Amino acid sequence: MPDGRYALNQLADLASVTPRTVRYYLAQGLLPAVGQSGPGAKYDDRHLARLRLIRRLQAEHLPLAEIRRRLDGLSDGDIRELAGASEPSAPDDSALEYLRGVLAGTPATQPRRLPQPGLSVPPPMRALAVTDAPVAASRYEPSSVPEFSPPGVADEPAPYASPPMVPPSFLPSMPAPSPMERSQWDRIELSPDVELHIRRPLGRAQQKQVDRLVAIARELLEEERP
Amino acid sequence: MTVTTDTTFRVRQDRRLVRPNSHSERFLLARIAAPRATAEHQRKPVNLAIVLDRSGSMSGEKLRVAKTAVEEAIARLQPDDRFSVVVYDDKIDIVIESTTASQESRRAAVDRLRDIEARGSTNLGEGWLRGCEQIARHLAEGGVNRCLLLTDGLANVGITDADELAHHATELRARGVSTSTFGVGNDFDEHLLQAIADAGGGHFYYIADAPQIRDAITSEVGETLEVVARDVVLEITARDDIRVEAISPYRVSGGGNRTFVHVGELVSEQVLEVVLRLSFPYGLLDRDTGAIVALTDRDGVFSTAGTAATEPIRLTWTYADDRANDAQPRDREVDRAVARQFAARARQEAVGRNREGDYSGARHVLESTAKRIRAYANGDAELRELVDSMVREEQVFSAPMVEPARKSAHYAAANLLRSRDSQGRSVRRA
Repeated sequence: MPDGRYALNQLADLASVTPRTVRYYLAQGLLPAVGQSGPGAKYDDRHLARLRLIRRLQAEHLPLAEIRRRLDGLSDGDIRELAGASEPSAPDDSALEYLRGVLAGTPATQPRRLPQPGLSVPPPMRALAVTDAPVAASRYEPSSVPEFSPPGVADEPAPYASPPMVPPSFLPSMPAPSPMERSQWDRIELSPDVELHIRRPLGRAQQKQVDRLVAIARELLEEERP
Repeated sequence: MTVTTDTTFRVRQDRRLVRPNSHSERFLLARIAAPRATAEHQRKPVNLAIVLDRSGSMSGEKLRVAKTAVEEAIARLQPDDRFSVVVYDDKIDIVIESTTASQESRRAAVDRLRDIEARGSTNLGEGWLRGCEQIARHLAEGGVNRCLLLTDGLANVGITDADELAHHATELRARGVSTSTFGVGNDFDEHLLQAIADAGGGHFYYIADAPQIRDAITSEVGETLEVVARDVVLEITARDDIRVEAISPYRVSGGGNRTFVHVGELVSEQVLEVVLRLSFPYGLLDRDTGAIVALTDRDGVFSTAGTAATEPIRLTWTYADDRANDAQPRDREVDRAVARQFAARARQEAVGRNREGDYSGARHVLESTAKRIRAYANGDAELRELVDSMVREEQVFSAPMVEPARKSAHYAAANLLRSRDSQGRSVRRA
């Protein structure tokens, strides 16, 4: 939606955060202010993308001050890309170039392949990751791992063929933990003020319990309701 | 093309409540009605390639009628349009290189068409790609660039792999060249031709008998001349833990919390129905969650701001307890559209099983789908009739069928899934 306009509650719902969190980020200057404040305020896709990126960086356990610093250097386009809001994009070569490649027996694009598991996180986001948390930890930020593959998605020309320029500060600044580390503590933010600490790995049943706990806790911590 | 008030876009929900402690599936029915094409001079330039199979099996009436159909199609073009004609067997001949549709070039084309005779085997892949190449050399940026591929047989020379051909169709479509396919008789592969047309953003036509070749080509060319909106896309914005799928056979892409359903191009006054399925995560009782559905297209017909008819549509679901969920009203229009889609898919699968000789499998597919529809049909006459007809069809599909019956059944279902009539034509506003 090019000029989507969201009410506070809709924006919060779409980003899977509470309205209270949105207000907090607005007050902290992490989200741009809107002209009109109060219940009539309207937010757009820039807010949604920014909110999603903040949540993602928070899942990397970055403090808000650091997140703000990083966001400051990014254009709206960078933020959209990093937030995983991919728009259908036009291919680089023309139909004629493509056909000449195919007819010469050297396909310009390789035939369709199944998505590789390692590619499920777009390259820019992998550059962002400062820890190599297990997949289960990112379940609370489902945006970081596309968890389904809609029919035909494999037909899409590689959406991340040309990753946007990422400022150097986004490159990994910490060594990734070695795969030999068998257990680690993960922090899950339940609200801007409350965190849950969990030692990984968890059993399947335990993981389900934690999922429920997080869902319930997040709802409880939300003060206002639509 | 200007947006007229007859452009409409509606989205209906089958139900508005979801369950907090399970993954609810809810359906949406999007109905898109395209505006009417206005004056003739506003129509988009057309750049056609017509690719004909002249392998041995096409000899006689099939090739004769196909040539007549091509002559008639060319006669409908305006001098600003372009066309080319390619014929293929194991070799590819560019009979008419891409040319503007002037009187002289049309006359010359008719003469050259007369000389074509049937021979040899079938390099469908290269014939098609050469046709696309003719189009690509003079791509009409603001227009409709369409390759029409006609065959009565299997691809048995050159690129023959269906996935590879469909992949090229997808790539060409992304680069502005679309493809429609025409299968004649009993011996072509409808899955291949359907896959090329679906991936290629065009249409597939099944032609049982040679005389119908004319109707199919005439209809397709006529629609190409009436395109009012290209690259029409449904955009669904929702929480990214809500899974969005298209039940209707359109390509889906997207990431994050936005899903794009690529429905292709729409012709004047075309009415298209698209069924979507949303799978909801667990949630807290009484909480609302929403989705926003918008419609865009490359020509700005639907995305032009300020028309209430094509404003993004906001939908809300509420997490409610099981009793409320069980008692909630259903939108029967959506139920019926969903049931028709699943019934059509079941029939296509039953055709496939029948061809493989798996008759009990064919019956089972219909039986289980009918059972699911019956579970929510209750007193709805239309749904009950659908269930009854599926039960009757079990007899047909669970015994050996002749090939024309299989192709007809597949085609009827394919058209239903894509909002097209029994002859493969777009459904228009009444």
